[in-house]
Amino acid sequence: MLPEGALRANRVWKRFRADRRPRRLRDALEAPRDWMLRSQERARRYRWALRDIDFEIEPGESVGLIGMNGSGKSTLLKILNSIMYPYAGSIEIEGRVGALIDVRSGIHPQLTGRENIFMFGALLGLGRRAIATRFDDIVAFAELELAIDRQAKFYSSGMQMRLGFAVAAFLEPDVLLIDEVLAVGDTSFQQRCLDKMRSVRQDGTTLVFVSHDLNAVEAMCDRALWLADGCLAVDGTAAEVLGAYRSTVERSARADLPTVGPVRFGEADVGPPGGGVAQTYGPLDVHLRVESDVECLARVIVGLTQAVASPIFVVERDVALRAGRTDLRCHIARLPLPHGRYAVWAGLAAPDRRDVIPWRPVADVDVLGPNVSDPPSGVPRAAPVAVEAAWDVTVT
Amino acid sequence: MTALRTDVADVPPPDLRFRRHVRPLSSLRDLWRSRELVQVLAEREFQARYKQTVLGVGWALVTPVLLVIVFSIFVKRVATVDTGDAPYVLFAYLALIPWGFFSSSMTRGGGILVMETSVLNKVRCPREIFPMAGIASAGIDMVVSTFVFGGLLLITGYEPKVTVVWVPLILLVQVMFVVGSVLLFSVLAVYVRDLLQALPLLLQLGLFATPVAYGVEAVSQDSWRLYALINPLVGVIESYREVVLYGHAPPWELFLPSSLTSVVLLIGGYIVFKKLEGGIADVA
Repeated sequence: MLPEGALRANRVWKRFRADRRPRRLRDALEAPRDWMLRSQERARRYRWALRDIDFEIEPGESVGLIGMNGSGKSTLLKILNSIMYPYAGSIEIEGRVGALIDVRSGIHPQLTGRENIFMFGALLGLGRRAIATRFDDIVAFAELELAIDRQAKFYSSGMQMRLGFAVAAFLEPDVLLIDEVLAVGDTSFQQRCLDKMRSVRQDGTTLVFVSHDLNAVEAMCDRALWLADGCLAVDGTAAEVLGAYRSTVERSARADLPTVGPVRFGEADVGPPGGGVAQTYGPLDVHLRVESDVECLARVIVGLTQAVASPIFVVERDVALRAGRTDLRCHIARLPLPHGRYAVWAGLAAPDRRDVIPWRPVADVDVLGPNVSDPPSGVPRAAPVAVEAAWDVTVT
Repeated sequence: MTALRTDVADVPPPDLRFRRHVRPLSSLRDLWRSRELVQVLAEREFQARYKQTVLGVGWALVTPVLLVIVFSIFVKRVATVDTGDAPYVLFAYLALIPWGFFSSSMTRGGGILVMETSVLNKVRCPREIFPMAGIASAGIDMVVSTFVFGGLLLITGYEPKVTVVWVPLILLVQVMFVVGSVLLFSVLAVYVRDLLQALPLLLQLGLFATPVAYGVEAVSQDSWRLYALINPLVGVIESYREVVLYGHAPPWELFLPSSLTSVVLLIGGYIVFKKLEGGIADVA
């Protein structure tokens, strides 16, 4: 028997039919022949979405679920929420489960906001009276005071989403499952969602959080599970798992780069001048080789990123390329990056800003130095930057 | 940190297969706990149906009233229907109330699992509440059309008999039949979508296969039991007529076979529903 708020997945397997085409009469007639096929061949018509997922989550833990698209995150969340059932293995959950698989689901366009709150709340397991006592909080959180008696089909998509999140967040469950809810909504609402999730977590709710926003996962979760191709690849602290995930994402992004075209990047060599390992506030040389079949003017842009294509900073320079090989050397005098693994990205743009070589990772670089300080709990950091600061504290 | 796993087999070991245990008692308890949800869903279904229509709830009356007019004009003239001393309008309308309830329950509840996939795939709740809500919404229509029956009684000056005290028992059988049919149909329709296309046709044929416009006397008396066993609405409708219009007890010969089928359908439909509901999110 698990304690309240705990959940456990016991070797969960889940499969879907690989061919999604509808079964027609002809298929039904051919069914007997299928039975004569060897079981192996029959099994090939299914695709395994989850394979042997095994973990346990303690009450009050907050766990991030990360992985590429199609790695089985949402399927796992649906199984945890008993919307789907596993093919093999089992799930145990103690306590009331609240889930936000998709914030806009369950909102009925024909009904007003008020009716939707009662309807959606009832779907999430709240009684009429329980919703009535929270009604004002929900409306205030969703900022729908003026629109609450309007039909939801006249709501903007942001308003519908705010309504959905507000109802689910005020459910106060023992286990809260959230799937990628921060992808939509403006910045201030995202921040309030994170605030609300943080306060829910501080009340002792177990949180399972699926997101591609790694910074949000890092800010919100103590622990992370990395799903790769339906398997539980890594289970560990959020920092460890995210670090491993980030470098894999970059490696795979670099693996599928095209090497054709009139202008190509050759080898890239990144490191401090004189060799060794790059240091925080130390110099860094980026040596980039460009091979061109044509003569052209271009602007080369070099940036450093961490797990995402958007860079922490970029440096740029206009160059006149000749046919043949051009060596570019960029010297960064003081690297403003804390300890960690980063990717060097580069791109080449024509004078009219069109891509000559699209923005792509070209090399990895490890930086040694002080660890970056963490923002307040639950606040995601946009990008790590090392900043020298001096404090002067005067008590009066 | 647990390292990357590389030893995952291709298929799970057979002894690991997940078996979903359906416990009828705890399922029923869940259903009872969700009664408010059924109410909200039914209200939503009902409101969504009639909101922004000019006639509004008036539409609940259009079908039975129109049908009874059509029956009065045509059926009565073509065939001779023995309605005893009761006016034909009452005879036919009284049958149209249970028929209409069955028909709109099937229309609203039968396809609801297919329509509500956005909710079913996202929110955990007992799945049977959706068909139940469709039935409840059709029930509101039935209440409205029952009031019209009261109006017809006043207009025709025909007095119902004291045997109406039997009505709750007949209603119980009627509801059991409808709930069983809708549960069974709605979950099968998720897997075999053809059923939804066939439903209007089936209902049209059903109207002729049910003694709505005519009496059960149109069928030879030898096959009454079989008729009532196959189509439980036969027993229900004839019983309503006997107790409301003629002052007799329900015709047991018809009522008992119909009750039997209704009970079997309810239990069987519920079991099939619970067995199949686990895969709804996979195919919907």
